[in-house]
Amino acid sequence: MNNPSRPRSPHVQVYRPQLTSVLSFGHRLSGLFLSLGAVLLVGWLLTAATEAQAFINLNAWLGSLLGLLLLFIWTLALFFHLCNGIRHLLWDAVIGFELVAIYRSGWIVVFLSIALTLVTWALALWQMG
Amino acid sequence: MLIKSSDELPRKTLFKRFPIPRNAQVPPEFRIQPGKVWPEPEGAENVKRLRIFRYNPENGKPPQIDTFTIDRDDCGPMLLDALLKIKAEIDSTLTFRRSCREGVCGSCSMNIDGTNWLACIRSMDELDEPATIYPLNNLDVIRDLVGDQRHAFAQYAAIKPWLQAEAPSNGIEHLQSPEDRNKLDGYYECILCFCCTSGCPSHWWNGDRFLGPAVLLQAWRFLADSRDQATAERLDELEDPFKLYRCHTILNCTRTCPKGLNPGKAIAEIKAKMITRQS
Repeated sequence: MNNPSRPRSPHVQVYRPQLTSVLSFGHRLSGLFLSLGAVLLVGWLLTAATEAQAFINLNAWLGSLLGLLLLFIWTLALFFHLCNGIRHLLWDAVIGFELVAIYRSGWIVVFLSIALTLVTWALALWQMG
Repeated sequence: MLIKSSDELPRKTLFKRFPIPRNAQVPPEFRIQPGKVWPEPEGAENVKRLRIFRYNPENGKPPQIDTFTIDRDDCGPMLLDALLKIKAEIDSTLTFRRSCREGVCGSCSMNIDGTNWLACIRSMDELDEPATIYPLNNLDVIRDLVGDQRHAFAQYAAIKPWLQAEAPSNGIEHLQSPEDRNKLDGYYECILCFCCTSGCPSHWWNGDRFLGPAVLLQAWRFLADSRDQATAERLDELEDPFKLYRCHTILNCTRTCPKGLNPGKAIAEIKAKMITRQS
């Protein structure tokens, strides 16, 4: 397989991104982003439990434009990873493997995760007044 | 947006490739250079431009992309016809594999406009303008569009793709009911073109140990065969972190199969069987 005297034909450099590979990469990327956000969540809880000033500062940063944007993306990652995770669980039960089902479930995951994110944020902003 | 079978082309694409550097992970001596632009045919109205990956190990130059222009009115309907025309009339050094010209041998598999397909069943109407043709992904390039498939076939041999059974009880043949025979449908038709394996990102990263969708489809073909008696041994062979379990259900394989087969499903069936046999 490894013959250094021959070039390796391009793969990720030329392959067309399709719903299959893009959603799969998105699942991995959202999982990574969720992990980082979870660390931030733990930090937030720690400051809430201990230092009041640090908690206030952290909340102020989270309320800034950048903080809100990151929280929005984290919510999107959460719902995408959740919906795509259910799709993965169905696949583990060998359900939904026909190409039409793969594409249908893929688009449902995309639209459902965006919709859930928007609903959650609308509710949160409405609750905040 | 809903793709019902693998021969459908994408209607719109946001990106034609993942947004990474064009020559990512390529050693400097093999970085792809712009190549020769071959002369257009005179007086041609219906032209097609093809950008084709070229590599000649004998002239010491790095790989390059040559641009050919052909007259579609003077050429057959399929991409393979165009390649043969280029080889016959424009550049006889263009090298590619081909045999049956009807999509049953698997020789002319290549990366066409970003996805893997057989050149002989890819209509010229379905190509981008200009069409871009690379050899099958992640193979050592022997020359132009010909890749070294020895590793892929070695992985195929490693799963013992033959019936393993004692001599049949009636002394003549292994009997199989029509229901059991139907379980092989969708798996025996594989022509080993390796479009799926070459399109699998997991095989790009771990191809040395991950078997890949083509080989695993054939592994399932024998696991599902009621006449085969080595099921336990076959499943034991797959018990390691790499051979089967590098599959993360990316499903590029099912999307790209030129014969409309479903390697992703076969692999899921193998994984299910690995679990159920332990219970």
